[in-house]
Amino acid sequence: MADETIYQYLQREGVSRRQFLKICGALAVTLGISEASPLLAAGLTRPTSPTRLVAEALASKPRVPVMWLNFQDCTGCTEALTRSLSPTLTDLVLNKITIDYHETLSAASGVQADENKRMMMETYAGQYLLVVEGSVPTGANGNYCTIGGRTAVDLLQEAAAGAAAVIATGNCAAFGGIPMAQPNPTGAVPAYQLITDKPVAHIPGCPAIPEAFTGTLVNFLVFGKLPELDDLNRPITFYGTTVHDRCLRRPFYEAGKFANSFDDEGARKGWCLYKLGCKGPTTYNACAGIKWGGGLSFPIQSGHPCLGCSEPNFWDNGGFYQGQSAPIGRPTLTAAGVALAAGAVIGVANAGVNRLQKRHADTDEETTESLSG
Amino acid sequence: MGSTDATLVFARGPLFYTALMIFIVGMAYRLVSVLLLGWKRDRVPNKGSKLRGVAVTYAKGLLIFPFIPWVKKTFRGNQTTYLAGGMFHFGLFVVIFLGTAHMLVWKSLLGFGWPTLALPIVDFLSAAAIVAMIALFVNRLANPVLRLISGPSEWLNLLIVFLPMVTGYGLTHHRLLGIVALPYENLYIMHMMSINLMLIWIPFSRISHFMFYFFSRTYHGAQAGKRAVMP
Repeated sequence: MADETIYQYLQREGVSRRQFLKICGALAVTLGISEASPLLAAGLTRPTSPTRLVAEALASKPRVPVMWLNFQDCTGCTEALTRSLSPTLTDLVLNKITIDYHETLSAASGVQADENKRMMMETYAGQYLLVVEGSVPTGANGNYCTIGGRTAVDLLQEAAAGAAAVIATGNCAAFGGIPMAQPNPTGAVPAYQLITDKPVAHIPGCPAIPEAFTGTLVNFLVFGKLPELDDLNRPITFYGTTVHDRCLRRPFYEAGKFANSFDDEGARKGWCLYKLGCKGPTTYNACAGIKWGGGLSFPIQSGHPCLGCSEPNFWDNGGFYQGQSAPIGRPTLTAAGVALAAGAVIGVANAGVNRLQKRHADTDEETTESLSG
Repeated sequence: MGSTDATLVFARGPLFYTALMIFIVGMAYRLVSVLLLGWKRDRVPNKGSKLRGVAVTYAKGLLIFPFIPWVKKTFRGNQTTYLAGGMFHFGLFVVIFLGTAHMLVWKSLLGFGWPTLALPIVDFLSAAAIVAMIALFVNRLANPVLRLISGPSEWLNLLIVFLPMVTGYGLTHHRLLGIVALPYENLYIMHMMSINLMLIWIPFSRISHFMFYFFSRTYHGAQAGKRAVMP
């Protein structure tokens, strides 16, 4: 089974050659490959298409088993995936090509599911891809999240030990997300803080864009490794530009045309939402390009400012409706008053010292005058 | 969490407020110190109206003279200082109060906002202000008298005001000095850091003239008005 190629597996699952090539084309688009790399092209006798590149990879490589673990999450990332572009690309990738163990989607439960997982970890040791959804609590010895009597920390480390690579999907798994927001009652941490010896790719977002996740997965399938990552371990293909850079409302930003409230003329005319707190300028994600619901729309297009849900600490980075340029939080009037009073007190003290000095100087002058006179 | 984001959160949050508090403490201290230097008792009866003197000096200084600068001795003496200085202050005022991004800062601090100008206008004026600053720097460097009376604090004043302006301009264009393309966050951090430095520096430097200017103008206007010699 393990040596069966992806193409053979798909054939067995009833996918025709024609369908297979269509999938390869879609996958190539998802990966953002416009042409074969110069290195690959040099070894080929005739010009190759991206589809061909993907097809050759899938026809020659064994499928990659995927284990999906859920911890402190809302299952939103899984929900988004299973509902995206259905029933084509993601559906195929998820159901037919890879996923061997998924706690939410699994029909088996309890001891049976555990046994499946154990078998998978043994059979594919060092080969499988581990997907983590949700943050991992470390408070109270990790007891805030247990499955089958074992803590999330324990389960994650066990699964990561045999994984070829790890994909942390969603803001919770990548950056801690909502569970890690202040005051972080469960001591939640993102997955990468517990996995230090394996490559970890982050697909942040709340939820993660299904195509960004699938694209990363497919990259691993086709090229046998994680895609190129940025300094926050996000695939550059999907997280290389800000939402602001690709925003369809960008011209209004440049022209200084803003919506000032959610129901004014600017809002109705689809003007820039910057003043309503849009976090697009500092948010790296593919929302404005790939969009959601099969390319239907994305929050800004629908009239709501970007919350910056794919950025670290997005929950604690100031108000959602507070301007992007505004400082985070705000000092209380008391603090400002205290500062003002403190300044005034120092000023009064300084003035007092000045007067004393002046009086001394005057007396000295008078003494000198009377002596010389 | 990346170090960039952590630094940005720190520069936009705790560090900014610390700088703002130091600014408030410093300015209050300066203001009270100056006010308590004391007034001389006014023993001379008024010949004219003090209020009229104040009104005239502001009207002339801010509304009339900028459009007919040649009537002023300051202008005839050094055109570069007058024109570049004027352009710099005007640009700075527009950027700080009528730029959308800055209005949002005021809004978050004061609780209310106001309409702003279109980005291209603000952008042009901020570029003009930067050019004016460079001109003022060259002027200070080239003019032997100016150079002689310029100490380290004068050069530092120029630098500390220049940094937020250049980084702010770069921030809107995602590139520094129009050449080096940098991520928005990095420029944002640089902008906030330079702003924080400036906020701390202002009370202890001559940039505090943004407040004391109004005192001197009011005082001199009132003195002229009292003597019925219109400024």
